Amino acid sequence: MSYYHNEAFENPDYHFSETLEIDRRGSSQRNPFSHQSPYDSSLHGSYGDHRGREQNYPVAIPMASLGPGSDYQDLPSTSPYGNFTENLSFEPEPELTYSPHSTFHLLDYPYTHGTSSGSEDSFIRRRNRRPPDEIFMTSSSMSETDPVCSEEEDLIGSLASMSTKERIKAIQKMPETMRKKREIRNKVLKEITKKANHRPSCCTQCLQGAAVGYFQRTVLYYGFYTNATISKIENGPSYNMQLAYIFTVGIYFVICFLILLFSMAKFFSRNFINPQELSVNASKLLCTWDFNITNDKAVKLKQKNLCTQIKEGLTEVNKEVLNFSAMERTIRIGVHLIAWVASLGVAVAACAGVYFLSINNLELFMKGYRNDLESQAAMLVLPVVVSLLNTLIPFFFSWLGHLEKFQTPGQHIYVTITRNIMLKMSIVGILCYYWLNIVATSESQCWETLVGQDIYRLVLVDFIFCLLGSFFGEFFGQDIYRLVLVDFIFCLLGSFFGEFLRRIIGTTVCLNLGLPEFDIGRNVLDLIYAQTLTWIGILFSPLLPGIQMIAFFIVFFVKKVSLMRNCQPPRKVWRTSQMMTSFIFLLFCPSFLGVLSVIGVTVWRLKPSEGCGPFRGLPSMYASVAEWIQVLENYTVSKWVVWIYHNLITSELFFFILSSFVLIVTYLYWQIIQGRKTMTKLLRQQINNAGKDKMLLLKKLRVQQRASRSSSALGGRGQQRSSSSYHPSRQPAQEVPDYLERAFDRNQNTSYNEVRWSKCRNVESGA
Amino acid sequence: MGGSASLIPRDLLGEYQELTFLSKQEILLAYKRFSELLPKEERENACSARVPKSQILTLPELRANPFQHRICHVFSTSETRDDSMSFEDFLDMLSVFSDSATSDVKSHYAFRIFDFDDDGTLDRKDLEQLVNCLTGQGEESRLSRAEMEQLIQNILEESDIDKDGTINLSEFQHVVSRSPDFASSFKIVL
Repeated sequence: MSYYHNEAFENPDYHFSETLEIDRRGSSQRNPFSHQSPYDSSLHGSYGDHRGREQNYPVAIPMASLGPGSDYQDLPSTSPYGNFTENLSFEPEPELTYSPHSTFHLLDYPYTHGTSSGSEDSFIRRRNRRPPDEIFMTSSSMSETDPVCSEEEDLIGSLASMSTKERIKAIQKMPETMRKKREIRNKVLKEITKKANHRPSCCTQCLQGAAVGYFQRTVLYYGFYTNATISKIENGPSYNMQLAYIFTVGIYFVICFLILLFSMAKFFSRNFINPQELSVNASKLLCTWDFNITNDKAVKLKQKNLCTQIKEGLTEVNKEVLNFSAMERTIRIGVHLIAWVASLGVAVAACAGVYFLSINNLELFMKGYRNDLESQAAMLVLPVVVSLLNTLIPFFFSWLGHLEKFQTPGQHIYVTITRNIMLKMSIVGILCYYWLNIVATSESQCWETLVGQDIYRLVLVDFIFCLLGSFFGEFFGQDIYRLVLVDFIFCLLGSFFGEFLRRIIGTTVCLNLGLPEFDIGRNVLDLIYAQTLTWIGILFSPLLPGIQMIAFFIVFFVKKVSLMRNCQPPRKVWRTSQMMTSFIFLLFCPSFLGVLSVIGVTVWRLKPSEGCGPFRGLPSMYASVAEWIQVLENYTVSKWVVWIYHNLITSELFFFILSSFVLIVTYLYWQIIQGRKTMTKLLRQQINNAGKDKMLLLKKLRVQQRASRSSSALGGRGQQRSSSSYHPSRQPAQEVPDYLERAFDRNQNTSYNEVRWSKCRNVESGA
Repeated sequence: MGGSASLIPRDLLGEYQELTFLSKQEILLAYKRFSELLPKEERENACSARVPKSQILTLPELRANPFQHRICHVFSTSETRDDSMSFEDFLDMLSVFSDSATSDVKSHYAFRIFDFDDDGTLDRKDLEQLVNCLTGQGEESRLSRAEMEQLIQNILEESDIDKDGTINLSEFQHVVSRSPDFASSFKIVL
């Protein structure tokens, strides 16, 4: 049975010291020495008297009072610690019953039992405490008297294994001279520093280290994967880890590529091939109301939708052409140039900052690879800084955009998005450069796991910032951010100049008080950035997409709640379908293609680390595929795979032909689109012309009627014109009853025919 | 249903079937719903009673409709111009809004419904009121003055063929014929 549950309990020493006490367990075992002073060294011999103690430890550490009145209750000889648990809160006072040497054990022991039995005991008189109940452990070598030096060693060992507070207490309570205590203390400290280099001494430290190290050694990271070929049964089908890893990643990217391609095509077709659908059409407006809707809320929703649609359509149509003078134009160009230079400068500065911070990070990491919490926290500085930059700089860009006056709101939106994408992609680019060029060639043990950890931290911190940003940005208003930023900038610029500009900016920036708007562009760019990180990380930390999926779910619902509660619809009306096309294109072009190139460089060029991961020992990750093909060459069954590999995948001619074919087809389709656009324009023109024709004919008809009416009024020909029932195109004020409208139309047509017919007759008669 | 059938005389039922687009079932259902709007003592003479406008507007199909007042006004044949509806007015209304009504009829009545000032044409004021009905009266969904002007300008540009500044019935019908789902959205079924 385990008679100690804490290493600190182990104190073999105090049994051997002369001041050790005897365990007075059991009243039946009333020790003849019970009245002796606890410091009587002759108690040594009493150890053997203990019975009922089948524990391994030869000496029972007497916790009970040794006083004469020490009544041990008859304890059931169960586990010595059986009773401890009842009274764990009791603070053990070490010097209660026995020698100071042994005090440190009692520090950790709860006293479960009994009251101080012998208040009249001299020992107890010193402190009125409850007697300890049980035995505390000893070491197995307890029964003999050991030499003092080994006792001292053991003492020091047990002192070293305690926590600082307890140790200080224990040393204080030792009845030794100051010099002796100082000696012991120094030895203990030396012991501790020695131990710290071997193993984590404390349990909590153990736990921390274990937790961090554990994550490093799971499937979460690249380093965990074996490079062996796993086969469950002898000569059965085997699972080649290297190929599995590289093919899984490859197929994942192919699937992503296909999904992106189809999405792009769908949105592109919806957007650019049917542009006229977006404009506000009269027919659309007059016929859109659905009379089937009976739900009040649905009606309100539909009304709101219609309003947004109308506004969208109007802003598109509303392109004012401004004519500027030459002077104004140069000023505008100058302002644009300055804004671009400023944004580029900020982006470059951010990248440089990230670069140097990451170099620092690596140095810090290489210097002392420790798994404790401090260094882990230090490693978090880089992701926090990156996320901060990604959160705050876009506000700066949108403020710049307010300063420059754009001709259309669409331009403003596109410029801001371009700048943001530039910033985010350059930060990601710098990080990739750092990972691939510096971490990969550094001396660290398993660089892929390092990169994986870095990416994982970035993703996590980005997720937290996203939530925080949603909380602060939408729950508390973006105005706070903007105001803070503007304040900060103008503090820097100096008060005099700053006051003046601040007043001007204040009128442009702080206009939209009230509910914050949900900035679609910023949120979508955040998503694109997170997705880019995930894509990069999949090679180094294979479970990252799963984690990112969970993060996206959470962010989605948080943003949905925040949107419903806090935001008003954006003032600048978004052309959502056109924006979707741009965003998917942004996801494809800098993001996905960039990631593909990074992964390509990693797989083809970089040398995998020697000590970890599925590709250890190979010159490059791709070499595993090459090796596999070589193996396959030996089997006739799979010769076609080898053929495909050699002639299609690694041959440049094939890719050349494929690319030119794709280009030709693309060109053809582009020409078809141009043709269709022209045709649409022509057809619209035709409809317009038909309308104008109708108008012309109606005018002529009216003229004819007037002429005929006047002629008939003159009592000319007696031809009966149904002129009274012939209504001109302008309907009279009174209402015609229900279904006679149709009759009216028919009348109109017939009279028109009559007129024409009579005209012909006139012509004929005239001719 | 069998009970209410006995309340409409057979020949009247046949007449209604001929004069409207409604089927027998639909007429009987309309009768049932109409008589529920009446107070108990008048339910016997449902065919000749008039239901005030406020009662009609309690029907769930009309309650949330932004054009509810115009609908009542257009279909009501009351001499006192209080927009109360008799059973035959009610049947008229359901007939126009039914599935089997032709697009001509629907567009004609749509025109009358949208003609807020009942002058036979849709002029700028009518169009403005129409847009306000469509977008709702709430603060955030109102169009600004400039937007409204521009919208009405666009509408007139596209649909006013004779350039007289108003849209008449034929122009309206021409516009409606270009939108294929007008008939399915201009529908109310009990």
